[in-house]
Order: sequence, then structure tokens, then C-alpha cells
Amino acid sequence: MGETVGNLIGLNDEVIHPAATLAVEAHNSQSKQFLVKKIKIRHDHSSVVVLAFSGSMFPDDWLGQPPFGKTKIDTGKFPSLTSLNDGGDAVVNGSFLGRFNGVLDKLSHDKELKKAIEKKRQVVFSGYSSAGPIAILATLYFLENRTLSPRCLTFGSPLLGDRIFGHALRREGWSDYFTHFVMKYDIIPRIMLSPSSTEHAQILNYFKSKFDRKNINPAPPSGFYLTVMGNASSVASYEACHLMGCRNPSLDIIKSFIELSPYRPSGTYVFCTGNGNLLVVKNPNAVLQILIHCTELGESNTAEVEKRSLDEHSAYLSELKECLGMQAVVSLDGGPATATLNDLGLSPQAMLCLQAAEEFENRRSRNLEKIGKYLEKIEVELEMLRKYKENAQISGLGYYDSFKLQNEDDDFRANVRRLELAGMWDEIKEMLKEFELPDEFEKKREIIDLGTKYRRLVEPLDIANFYRHSKDKETGAYVIGGGPRPKRYRFTQRWLEHQEKKPFGSRSESLFWADVEQLGIDIKKKGYLQEIKDRIHQLERNMIAWIDVDKSLDKDVLLEKTTFVKWWRDLPIECKSESERIEKLIGEKAAGV
Amino acid sequence: MLATFLSSTPVLQDSWRLCSLANTAATVVTDHVRGVAYVAFPGTVMPSGGANLVALDAAPDGLFPPLQQRQHEDPPMIHAAIVDHFRSFYTSTTFHNQILAEIDKSKAVVMTGHSMGGAVASLSALWLLSYLQSITSSLPVLCITFGSPLLGNDSFLRAILRERWAGNFCHVVSNHDFIPRLFLAPLPSLSAHHAHFVLQFWQLLMNVLQSDSETAKIFGFLLPYIQGWVANMEEECVKSPFSPFGNYLFFSEEGAVCVDDAAAAGKMLELMFTKASPGSSIEDHLKYGDYTEKASWQLLMRKSFTLGEPPESSYEAGLALAVQSCGLANQESISGPAKECLKMAKRVNRLSPHLNAANLSIILSKNVPYRTQIEWYKASCDKSDDQMGYYDSFKLRGASKKGAKINMNRCLLAGFWDNVIHMLESNQLPHDFLKREKWVNASHFYKLLVEPLDIADYYRTGMHLTHGHYLKNGREERYEIFDRWWKGREVGNEENNRRTTHASLTQDSCFWARVEEARDWLDQIRSESDMRRSAMLWQDIENFERYATRLVENKEVSMDVLAKNSSFTLLMEELQDLKSKSQQFPPQFPAFLNGEMVP
Repeated sequence: MGETVGNLIGLNDEVIHPAATLAVEAHNSQSKQFLVKKIKIRHDHSSVVVLAFSGSMFPDDWLGQPPFGKTKIDTGKFPSLTSLNDGGDAVVNGSFLGRFNGVLDKLSHDKELKKAIEKKRQVVFSGYSSAGPIAILATLYFLENRTLSPRCLTFGSPLLGDRIFGHALRREGWSDYFTHFVMKYDIIPRIMLSPSSTEHAQILNYFKSKFDRKNINPAPPSGFYLTVMGNASSVASYEACHLMGCRNPSLDIIKSFIELSPYRPSGTYVFCTGNGNLLVVKNPNAVLQILIHCTELGESNTAEVEKRSLDEHSAYLSELKECLGMQAVVSLDGGPATATLNDLGLSPQAMLCLQAAEEFENRRSRNLEKIGKYLEKIEVELEMLRKYKENAQISGLGYYDSFKLQNEDDDFRANVRRLELAGMWDEIKEMLKEFELPDEFEKKREIIDLGTKYRRLVEPLDIANFYRHSKDKETGAYVIGGGPRPKRYRFTQRWLEHQEKKPFGSRSESLFWADVEQLGIDIKKKGYLQEIKDRIHQLERNMIAWIDVDKSLDKDVLLEKTTFVKWWRDLPIECKSESERIEKLIGEKAAGV
Repeated sequence: MLATFLSSTPVLQDSWRLCSLANTAATVVTDHVRGVAYVAFPGTVMPSGGANLVALDAAPDGLFPPLQQRQHEDPPMIHAAIVDHFRSFYTSTTFHNQILAEIDKSKAVVMTGHSMGGAVASLSALWLLSYLQSITSSLPVLCITFGSPLLGNDSFLRAILRERWAGNFCHVVSNHDFIPRLFLAPLPSLSAHHAHFVLQFWQLLMNVLQSDSETAKIFGFLLPYIQGWVANMEEECVKSPFSPFGNYLFFSEEGAVCVDDAAAAGKMLELMFTKASPGSSIEDHLKYGDYTEKASWQLLMRKSFTLGEPPESSYEAGLALAVQSCGLANQESISGPAKECLKMAKRVNRLSPHLNAANLSIILSKNVPYRTQIEWYKASCDKSDDQMGYYDSFKLRGASKKGAKINMNRCLLAGFWDNVIHMLESNQLPHDFLKREKWVNASHFYKLLVEPLDIADYYRTGMHLTHGHYLKNGREERYEIFDRWWKGREVGNEENNRRTTHASLTQDSCFWARVEEARDWLDQIRSESDMRRSAMLWQDIENFERYATRLVENKEVSMDVLAKNSSFTLLMEELQDLKSKSQQFPPQFPAFLNGEMVP
């Protein structure tokens, strides 16, 4: 043993219980939006600042629009919480997001927090019950801003975000900063897996009156358990089907007939088994399965479990005190933890689901190895294409035009290379889309660099091929919206933009030729409209920036015989805005060769 | 796991609720729950007609066009009486209106029915799927039947698999219910030796829902017979012509199992039936309400192994759990075969559909050089001095190495695409495969490029003399499938693009086949003496001419069509020649042959 919870989640053990205490206190505080407290750590005399948020048990503060209150996250505040491969932005519970926005202003002007940032103290955001999501969002907000690197502790928090949300967290490497404590039967962490219903309101109203008037014990509601957990178990079994590689098409057909909750767990979960043991789980799929399966009804009857599911939500402080004292901690990711899993009372079926969750992670690592071999091949192919490009430059035509004409055997071979590369990148793309590669994949420097190199070198060839065959007649222009531009270029562009924190679409230098070609076609069709002129000016400005400033576009587009130079020189003078500079660049290039 | 998921959803319970309503009311009942339309067919209405199979093509006047018979296959057959029964619903005017009205206001449709109603629901769902396919709608359709009798034969199953509709069907079968097993006993013998069964069969089917003692008596007679058949299935060489299709969801006291493999489902139908008694068989046919309700909590109830030592691997454990869910774990003699059977159903495939698709892009990229070589070939033919275009160059090619190589590529590509289609039809590719532009586009460009070569080869080898023209008799099935894919793709903001230059590939891949046919007509006219026949031929030729003119004017043909020595140009010249000679048809030619359009 020897491991403590603190070790496993990267936080001092002495912080956890005070943070929980403050969280419960803050949750019931009506007057303040959050409470701040400084905790001295005994052994190294450092101090940690804990900030706990207040909560609300009004059903409206939990779920805005039925059935799930889904809202796209505000990517202005949270630019990282999106998928880099067409999966869209992360979805979160809109009511929680709204409450966070309500507290944000006060939070960012808080003196004690500012002081903590100045003194570079460790900051922990903490939240109990409905304040948990607020703490998560606050932590994320500061992680995005890079002003500090806070931690997040929640106790009995409902789920906040969907699969993309968790994926983005893991991709950015932030997942370990979030720790969620969950009691074995507590209903609240599971409630968001079920659509909004009268049962929801029943449960929340019960807690509301319980927290408001501390001395009177309201009558607990009954009959909600099977409905809520029934819906939650749909989610779990649906995910389990996927983990186990179920290939039956009915699975997705049936899914379109019901509304499954979009929310999934993210971050590290610590389960309190009820007899002092703690189970730490990081694999999000395993967390979901445990959340559902550990509540399975055994011999005990429904009414009893129903009551426990309510009682345990208000038992965190006492339970944590016991657990943290014992420090009987097991991590699921460290290997088989059968004894603790038995404490949770998991059935054989649940064990199978957990194994499947683990196997899924293993499969992702295996896929990554396979992709590793591709990357070497890609390097080799790119090198060959680079040589092709050099040779084409010597002929004075540039490789874009030479490829478009397809006159030489070399051009033909380059075309075959282009297609082989496309196959490899498409496979990578396919795997990413299905989450078959580790979440961090799109954040790896060498991958982004290779993707960029590939995109800048090969996309012009795709464009040449596209316009050579006049495919725009069949499918519309190359770049338009969801048009025919291959996704492998969109993804790789997005990776770079994300890494550089630039807006979507700002790194489109590889689309230069598509712009040129499409402008040529549109001018023939429509003449020199103002809109066309604007586009020409934009193109000129972009080109100068790409060539001169960040060198992302190669100067061979300036060769005198290229489509671009010929086309640009034919433009009427009033359409050009950067005439001199571009002529100068062309001149330089000609002199250089 | 799928069974657990299915039963935890409210879909099953809602369906059953409506089925009971339909049974009581003895009419079709519809309802809306959360935007999903439910249509339930009553199981209490009496059908008429014999218990034999009819071919699908002949039976319902082309109600299910996509399921038509294919070459070299047995015709899909379904139960005659059930089709008749379905038609009695179908022909009533309210049926159409009712269902189409439901479609308009819902995001999904569930067809459901109990007993006989289940079979009708299956046919209605098939009809709806066919209809939706014809209007390229992707409205989700699900068919849930409770204790429905078997419906069709093996070819029927294959036709459904090919359309990838099997996943839209879920047949719920409770432990000992006898109706789904009824047709496991072969029909011919049923009618020959036990004529009275057939006579009383429908009576039985109806009365069973009222559960009177008379039926119990008849049934007591029938049950041993079916069970006997089932037990001896291995030895007897006459097999039941019926085959299950779609998913089978088996309920037992212990849980539920879902099987999508037809053979495994058939076997499970047998195995779970072996311990049935007359009482339990009838009771289970009526008890679906209980089963669905119980199953919905199933996941919340803890299960543990009831016997034996814990299995070694997770795979074995999964199987053992499944066997237990069928309620067979305590029956030594059956649990073994049941395990085998479920193993067969699981048939672990190492690659998921998505990875298959990913892998396929690699294979595609390996095949693409063949295609580029053909493109290269086309370009070189189009530019060459003989000005024939690549169609004619390929058709009239000598023993050149280049031509042979291209021919080889053509065959390799055909093999590749046939494999893609096969993978798709056997459900090895993701469900949304056809929504991926990459594949639809790739297949389309392949078709445009290579089909002319196929046509050239067809006419070059004189196949048209023995088999008839290409369009009707020689066209490979894959091209028709690709046509469907292309038509079914999601068309975005298609601006009405007028072509300014000629297309790089002729947009109608069958263009050359039409040219060949027109040439044939022209030759016939020359030798035709019968005025009426010749007038008809002229009609055909004029149609062709209009079609070709439109294509040429829209620049939807590639340059090779208009090459000076292409067979199209030659044909047009000949036609003009013939027309000017014959006085009865005033010349009505467009300008495209006057020189300026011919490069």
C-alpha cells in the first residue's frame, strides 16, 4: 500500500478534508457566492488557498431546457474545449454554465484570489453538490488563461460535460487536476444521466428543504429510484456495447429512438466504498460503469437503497474523515483491485464492463504504435515529394503547374505518392474520429509539425488535381464550407491553429492555390464585382504575409510561368492593391533563380 | 449487452402498451411518445388463406422493390397468408394516409405488433423502408414484434441483409412461446400428413389469445409434434423453409439475450423450446407485458453465478452469463449447445467497422495508382493523332502492351470495389459509410472513368451479339449500386453551375452504351423494310439524339466524345447523312456538328 489519496491525485492530504468542510459550508451559504480560506500545510509550511462556491437546489438552477439542458460551451472563454476533428464544441449543462458566468465577475476581482496568484500559492477550487460544476468551470477558466494552475475538488457533484468535454480535458493534459469524490449510493452524481422529469424535481426539492431548515427533517420522496437509475443504466449499457465492440447496427438505430443523456464523467474519480476504503479511477469509461453498477440492487430492497441514495449525499464529511484516516486506497489503473471492487459489490457483468473499458485503453495504445510506423513512412514520402518540388522549380514552372499539366513521368509518380499519403492520413483521421487514438494525440508537437509539413507540401497537389479535372463543376468550389476539401487537411490545419491559439481558419496558407483558381473561375463567370475585388485584395495581403512574414508559403508561386503570376498580371490595374510589392517579390524571385 | 440496453430503454414498454391496445381494439392503433410515432397492428384479426410460401416478386405487386430477386439466387419467398393479411391492411385507403401523416410529424417510426400483428408489422416496416428509400429519406424505422411467427425463407433474409435493414427489426421472443417456433416444422409435411392442423391452425392462432380450453386441447396435440420435429432436426434432411431475420431478443426468467445471426437465432429458438409444456407455451405467448417490465430493471438487479467455478477468461465469462440469461444454465443437456450457439452468434471480429473503414482507405490508396494509370491512358489517347478518344482506342486496341495493362487495371479495380460492396452488405462497415463524401465521390469517379472501358470491352468481345445490349444485359451490378449511392448523397448548396469547359469525364457513364445501341438501330433501319418498325426505330434514334445533344450542349461530355474519329462523331455524321437522304424526316440538327464544337 503506502499510497495515499493525496499522492494519487497530486495534492496534499491535509487539504482534502478542510476543502470538503468549506465546500459544504459554502454550499449552504445564502449571502456569499463563494468562501475563501487559507490552509497551512504542516510539514513544509506552505499554504494552500481553498475557494469554495455556493450552491442551489432550485430545480431551475439544475436543468434549463428539458430534457438535458444541453448548451454549447462558450469557446470565447474556453477555447480549448472543442474537438479538433469535426466533433464540434463541448456541450455542458447550460444552467451550471449560467451560474458560473454569474459568479465570474466577482471571482476575477477577488482580492484574496489575486493575492494568492501573486504569491504563487496553490489554489484549489472546491464545490459540494451543485457547486461542483461551478468549481470545475472556474478551474478550467484559469487553466485557459494560464494565470495560475489551480486544482479542483468536488464532493457529490452532478455531471457537467459531454464526451468531447472530457476528451478535450485529457487532450490538454488537465484531466489530472480534477478530482471528484463520490459516495457509493449517492444519487446526485448520477442524476444527470437521466432526462429532466418530475422525479428530478422531487429529489431536488427534498434536498432544498433539508438544507434550508436544518432542524426539520422533510419526508423523503420515494419511487424515483427505478426511473432515474433505469435511464442512467441505458447510458451505461449503451457505452458498454461500444466498449465491447458490438457491431450490431440496431444499436445506433435504437439510439435514434430515445434520448440518451450526453453527459459523461471526466477527471479522476474517488469512490467511497462505504467501509472506509477508497477506489481511485481515472479511466472515464470505467468511471461510468462503476457509477451505475455499484448501485445494483442486491438482496436489499428498492426502498432501502432509495433511502440510502438520498442519505449518502449529505454524508460526505463523516465518510471522508474516516476514509482519510484509514488511507486504504486502491487505484484501479494500477492493476487488478478485486478486493475493493468487491467492496463496491460489482456483479460479474459489471466486471466484464470494466475489463472492456481497460481493453479499450489498451487498444488505443496499440493503435498508436501502428500509427508510429506510418509516421516514418510519411516522412519518407514527403522527402520524395520535396525533391520533386525542387526539380519542378528548376524547370521554371513550379510544382503546382507542373503537376497540374501532368506531362512528365515524374508528375505521374508524384500523383501516386500523393494518393498513398492520403490513404495514411485518412486512416489517422478515421481513428481520431472514433476516439481510437489516445486523447493527447492531437497535442503532440511532432504530430502537429508533420501534419503542417504534409499540408503545406501536398495540399497544393490536391488542389491542382481538383481543378485539373474541373471537379468544381460536380461538387462546388474546393474550399466552400463543408465542401470537397479533404478532411485530412482541415484537421491538420486545426491542430496548428489550436497549438498557436489562433482562430479557426487563420492558417489557410495551403489553400492559396484554391483561392487563385476559384477567383479565376468566378471572374469569368461574374466579372469584376466589388466582392471579387475584395477577395483579390485579401488574397494579395495574405500572400505577402505568408511569404514575407511567416514564410509558410514557398516563393515558388512567384515563378514567372505559374498560373498565379500569369493570372495576376492579367488583372486590370484597378483590381490590384499591392501591385508594387508583389511585382517586387516576383522580380526578386526571378533574380534569385 | 445489447439486450440490456434495449430492455432498459422505454421503447419496448411503449410498444407493448400499444400492442395490447391494438389487440383489444382489433384495429391499427397509433400514438406519439416524445416525437416518435408508434404504429401497432392487432394480433386478433383473422387472416384467410393457406400456409404456404409465395415468391415475393409475384406476391404483393412490387410492394418491396429493393428486395427483388437477384440473378442466380432463389427468389425471396414469404408466407402467403400473412402477405394476404398484410394486403388487407395495405389496400385500405386509411392505412396509407395514417402512416404518411405519422411520418410527417415524427422524427422516427416504430412499427409493432403482437403475434400475427407482429408479422404484419414486419411487412409494413419493410414497405415503409422501401418507400423511404425511394424518396431517399433517412427517417429511422424500427420494427418490434412480440411473439411473431416466422415470415420468410432464406433468400428473403439475404435480401434484407443486403439492404442492411436487418438491424431495423427486433423480434421479442419469450421463453417458451410457441408461435415463433410454429414454422420450424417443415410445412409440406405439415399440410400433407396433418391436414387438420392446417385447417385449425389459424383458428388456433386467434383463439389462443382468448385462451379457452378447447385450444389448449388442440395445442396439446400440436406441441409434441413441433417439439419432435425440433429435436430431430439434425437427422431429418427436410429443413423448414423458413428462416429468421433481424435481431432476436430472447426473454427468460433469468434475463435477456440478443442474437442477430439468423442461424444462431434459429438454433436458440429450438433450444429454449425443449423444456416447454403446453401450458407454458401458451402462457408465454401472452406474458410479454411482464417480461418487458421486468427486463427494464434488469441491470439494476445484481446477478451472480449460480453454479460452477468462475470461468477463466472474460470471454468465457461473458458467454456463461449469456447462457444464464437464457435461463438455460441449470439444464445440463442444453447449456452446452446453447453456449456453442451463442459463440457462433458473437463471432468475434477483430476489427470494428470503423477500423475496417479506416483500413479501407489504405487499400484504396493502394488501388488508386491503377486508376491514375487509366486517367493517364485516357489523356494520352485523347491527345493522340488518330483522334479516336479513349473509348474507341480501348475498344479497337491491338495487342499493345499498354492496352493490356489498362485492361488488367480495370479488372483489379473491379475486384476492389466489389469487395467494398461486399463488406458493406455484410455489415462490416460503419452505418454512416454512405454519408461519407470521400467514398461516394470515389465510387462515382471510378464509375465515370472505368465504365466506358467496360462497355468498350463488352462490345469489343462481341458479348452484345450473344447476350443483348449492355444497358439491359451487361451492366455490372456495382455500377447500379454506385448510381444509388450518388443519388442518395446529401446534396449541399448546389449552385446551378453552367459548365464553361468540357467535363473531364462524361457525366453519364453509360453514354457509350447508348451510342452503341443507337448505332445498332441505325444499322437496322438500313435493312428494315417494314415501315412501322422503321418508324419506331427512328423514334428511338431521335430520343437518343435529343439526349446526346443536351449532354453536348451542357458540356457534360468529355473531350474524347467529340474527337474527330470517335464513334460518336462518326455515328452523328452517318445519321445526318442518312437523314438528308431520306426525305420523310426534315433535318432538325443542332449546330454542334458544324465544326466549331469539334476540336
